[in-house]
Amino acid sequence: MPDWDERQKPERDVYGTQLTQAETIDARSSEEVIEERVEEATKPLGLWADTWRRLRRNRLALVGLGVIIVFLCIGTVETIFYEAHWHVRPGSDVSAANAPGYLAPYDPNEVNYALSPEGLGSPPSWSHPFGTDYLGRDVLSRTLIATRIAMLVGIIAVAIALTLGLLLGPVSGYYGGAIDTVIMRLADVFFAFPYILFVLLIMSVLGAGFQNVFIAIGILGWATFARISRGQVLSVKSMEYVEAARAQGAGDLRIIFRHVLPNSMAPVYVAMAMAIGGAIATEAALSYLGIGVQPPNSSWGLMIAESVNYLAAGNWWWLLFPSLALVATVFGFISFGNGLRDATDPKLKE
Amino acid sequence: MIAYIIRRLFQLVIVLIGVTLITFLMLKLVPGDPARALAGKNATPQRIEFVRHQRGLDRPFYVQYVRYVERLVHGDLGESLYTARPVAEMIWEAAPVTIQLAIAAVLIELLGIPLGVYSALKQYSFWDTTLTTGALILWGIPVFVLGYFAMYVFGLKLDWLPIGGVGDTVLWIIPSSWTSFTYLILPALTLGMIEIAYISYMQRAAMLEVIRSDFIRTARAKGLSERKVIWGHGFKNAVIPVMTIAGIDLGALIGGAIITETVFNRPGIGLMIYHAIGQRDTAVIAGGVLFATFFFVFANLLVDLGYAWVDPRVRLED
Amino acid sequence: MAERLLDIRDLSTYFFTHAGVVKAVNGVSFTLHRGETIGIVGESGSGKTVAALSLMRLIADPPGKIVEGTLMLGDRDLRALTDAEMRGVRGNDIAMIFQDPMTSLNPVMKIGKQIAEAIVLHQDKGRGEAWRMAAELLARVGIPDADKRVDQYPFEFSGGMRQRAMIAMAISCNPDVLIADEPTTALDVTIQAQIIDVMREMQAQFDSGVILITHDLGVIAEISDKVMVMYGGRTVEYGPVDEIFYNAHHPYTWGLLASLPRLDATEKARLTPIKGQPPNLITLPGGCPFTARCPYRRPECRDQWPQPESVGLDHGVSCWIPEEQRLALRAELPHSKAPAA
Repeated sequence: MPDWDERQKPERDVYGTQLTQAETIDARSSEEVIEERVEEATKPLGLWADTWRRLRRNRLALVGLGVIIVFLCIGTVETIFYEAHWHVRPGSDVSAANAPGYLAPYDPNEVNYALSPEGLGSPPSWSHPFGTDYLGRDVLSRTLIATRIAMLVGIIAVAIALTLGLLLGPVSGYYGGAIDTVIMRLADVFFAFPYILFVLLIMSVLGAGFQNVFIAIGILGWATFARISRGQVLSVKSMEYVEAARAQGAGDLRIIFRHVLPNSMAPVYVAMAMAIGGAIATEAALSYLGIGVQPPNSSWGLMIAESVNYLAAGNWWWLLFPSLALVATVFGFISFGNGLRDATDPKLKE
Repeated sequence: MIAYIIRRLFQLVIVLIGVTLITFLMLKLVPGDPARALAGKNATPQRIEFVRHQRGLDRPFYVQYVRYVERLVHGDLGESLYTARPVAEMIWEAAPVTIQLAIAAVLIELLGIPLGVYSALKQYSFWDTTLTTGALILWGIPVFVLGYFAMYVFGLKLDWLPIGGVGDTVLWIIPSSWTSFTYLILPALTLGMIEIAYISYMQRAAMLEVIRSDFIRTARAKGLSERKVIWGHGFKNAVIPVMTIAGIDLGALIGGAIITETVFNRPGIGLMIYHAIGQRDTAVIAGGVLFATFFFVFANLLVDLGYAWVDPRVRLED
Repeated sequence: MAERLLDIRDLSTYFFTHAGVVKAVNGVSFTLHRGETIGIVGESGSGKTVAALSLMRLIADPPGKIVEGTLMLGDRDLRALTDAEMRGVRGNDIAMIFQDPMTSLNPVMKIGKQIAEAIVLHQDKGRGEAWRMAAELLARVGIPDADKRVDQYPFEFSGGMRQRAMIAMAISCNPDVLIADEPTTALDVTIQAQIIDVMREMQAQFDSGVILITHDLGVIAEISDKVMVMYGGRTVEYGPVDEIFYNAHHPYTWGLLASLPRLDATEKARLTPIKGQPPNLITLPGGCPFTARCPYRRPECRDQWPQPESVGLDHGVSCWIPEEQRLALRAELPHSKAPAA
C-alpha cells in the first residue's frame, strides 16, 4: 500500500481522463510548488494575459481603445506624409513640391474664398463633409492634419515626463533618506501650482509655439510618474525576491531597474494613458488661448478658438467637428486608462 | 494631531519657498530686458543702466530673490508693465469674480456625491452604466468646448442666458439680483458638470471598494439594518476621499478657471493673466500665478488637516 | 444533556457565478449544545467559513444561495425568518468574530461606538448606558484602561487587543451561539493563547455554544469538544475531539495529523504536507472531493458520495474504504498514533 511519501504518476487521473505530461496530478512536494510560484511572481509577463482578459470585459474601455487606435492610425499616416513632404532626403527623386504633406481630401491650407461667401465659410455638404471655414479651407482636412499634432503632443510630452519621472521616482523610493526627501519636496512644489497656470508660466518663458508645448507639458509631468513609481518601489522593496537578487550580488541600480521596476509598471501604464489624454487636452487649451500651435498650422484647440468669433453668425460646424475629435480622443485615453486601472487592480474581485 | 499640524506647516513653508523661487526664476528667464522695458522705448543706454541700478536689477540672483520675497511678504507684487497699476490692486479687484465662480462650481459638483453612491449601490444596473459612461465622456470634455456649446445653445440659439460678463454683487461675491445671477449660471454649470463627472466616478469607486470591506461584513453580522450599514459605516468611509477632492477643487479653481473666464469673459484672475500673456506683462502673470498658487497650497493644507481630523489613521502615519 | 442550540441538517450553499456553479457547502450537518465547542477544520476553500456565514444568512445573494438545508436555532427555523427577524438574531442570539481584526473593524469609528451599536440595537438601551456597558465589556475581555480605550479608534489598539475588542462586541448581547472564524490566525502565537483563554472564559460565563472555525489543529485540540473535518464543501469526518486525534478514520484527517510538526521529530525530519492543490469547486464530480489527492482512492470514490458511517460513539466518517482495511492502512502510516490505551 502506498505511503504518503510515494509519488503518484498515473496515466489516467481519477476522473478517467487521459493525462498528458502537463496534466499529471500535482503531487509534488510543497517546496517545489513554492519555488514555482516565486518564479512566476518574478516573471512580469504572466500578468498581462490576465489583465487583457479582464480588460476585454470592460466595454467602455474597449471603445476607448478603439478610438485611440483610430486616431493613432490617422496621426501616424499624417505624420508620414508630413515628414515625406518637408524632410525629403537629399538625392531622392521626389521633390518637395510633388509629395503632398498630408492625407486629406483637400489641401488644408488652401485658401478658397469662393467657398466662403460673406467670409463665413459654407456648411457641410457632400463635397465638403465638415464644411469650410472663413477662409474657405476644408474643415475635414484641417481636422485630419490636426490629429498629427495631437498625437505628437500626447506621445512626446508624456515620453519626456515619463523618462524624467521614472528616473527620479524609483531612485527616490529605493534609496530613501535625504535623496527621497529632496525629490519628493521638489515634486510637492510642482504639484503646488495649479496645472494650467504652471504651463502658462513656462510657456511665457519659452515663448509660444508648438515645440515649446511638448517641453512645458513634459517638464511638468514628471512629478506624477515619479510619485507613482516611487510608491511602487517602496511597496516592492521589502519583498523577498529583492532580497534574493541582492543575495545574488546584484548591484542596487540593477535591482531597481531590472527587477523592481518591471514588476510594478501597471499603475504607470494607467497614468500614461491618462497623461496622454491630459496632454492632448492641455495642448488644445493652450492653442485655444493662443500660445500653443500657431496659424497656419492647425490644431483642434486653435480651430475651436478661431471658430468662436463666428459662432454668433450661426457657424456651428466649425466648432462641432474639431470639438468632437478632441472629445473623442481624450475620452478614448481616459476610458482606456480607467479600464486598465480596473483590470490591473488586484483587489477587484470578479 | 498637533504634531501633524506642525509637520504639515513645516512642509508648507518649504513648498512656498520653492514656489516663490520657481516663479522668480521664471520671471528672470523671460526673454527681454526688464530694465529696457521699464526705461521706455527711446531710452538711452545710460538711462537703461540707471534704471537697472535703481531697481536693483544688477544685484546677484539670491539678493534679488530675497528682496522679491521681502516685497511679497509686504503684499507688494510689483506693478503692471502695461498700466503701471499695482498688481496687488488688480488682483484684489479680480478675485471676487473668480471666487464666486469657484464656490458655485464646487457646490454644484457636490451633487456628484449622491450620484456616485447611488450608482455604486445599484452596480451594473442601467442607471449605473449610464452614469459611468456619461461621467467618463463628460470628464474628458475640455472646459472651453463644453462652454462654447452651452453658450451657443443656451445663449445664442435659445437666448435664455447671457453669454458673458458678470453681474453685480453684494457682500463681495453673492449675486445681488436674478439678472446678476444669470451671469453665473452658464460658467458655473459648465465647470460644475465636468467636475460632477469626476466626483461621481470617484465616489462610486470609493463606495464600491468600501462595500466589499470586512468591517461592513462585521456590521451586518451585528444585525444592523442595511441602511445603517451602508450609510453609517460604508458612506462614512467612502465620502472622506471625495470630500478632499472637492476641497482641493475649490482651491484649484481659483487659478484654474482661466479657461472658463476667457470663454465667458468674466474679469477674474484668470482673464487678467490671459491679457497679461498677450501683453507680455510678466509682473501681472507672476503676481496672478503666485496668488492662485498660494491659495491652492493653503486650500490643500486645510483639506489635509480636515482629512486628518476625520480619518484618525492619517495622523500617525507620515 | 445540555440544551440543544443549533441543529443543522444537510446545509448546501451554492454560488452561481458566470464561471459556473460553486458548491461551497454541500450537505453539511452538525449540532451544537450549550457549553459545547465544535471545531470545524479544513483548508482554505473547504467551505467552513461559508457554512458559518450561511448560518447567519450573511451570504450575498446574488451570487450565493442556500439551496438546501434545515437550520434550527432552538425551535426557530432560521431559513423561515424574515429579514427583519434575522437581523434580530444576528449579533443577539448568534454572534460572529472574524479573522482579521484590523480590517474587520470600522477604522473611522470609535471602538466604544462599534460595541454600543449592537447594544442599542438589540437591548433597547440608551446611548449613554450602552457606552458604559461597552467599557465594562472591554474590561471583561481583559483590556486595561477600558474607560479610556472605549473612546479610541481601532488603529490605536494592538492586534491582540483588537481581537479582544471584537470578542467584546460579539458577546455584548449575551449570544447563545458564538462563531469564531479563524480568530487566532492573524495573531502572534503568544497572543493566540490569550485569545483562546478569553474565549473560553466568555463561553463559561455565558454558557454559550461556540463554533470554532480554523485550520489550526493545535487550537482545535485545546478547546474543542467535538470536531468536524471538512473538505471541498463536504464533511468527511466528525466526532469527539479525542476520537479525531487518536482514532481518525479518514485519509484526509490522517494527512492533516501527519502534517503537524512533532516535538519528538529529529532535526533532519521534513514536514509532510498533503500533496496537491485544493480542488476546483466548480468542476467537482459528485463523489468524494478528496479523491484527486487520496493515495487510496478507488473507482467508486469519484462519482459517488459515501454516506457517513458510524465508527464510534458520535463518530462518523464518509469513506468508501471498508473499516478493516482502513485500520490496516492507518497502522502502516509512519506517524500514526495508536489509540490511547
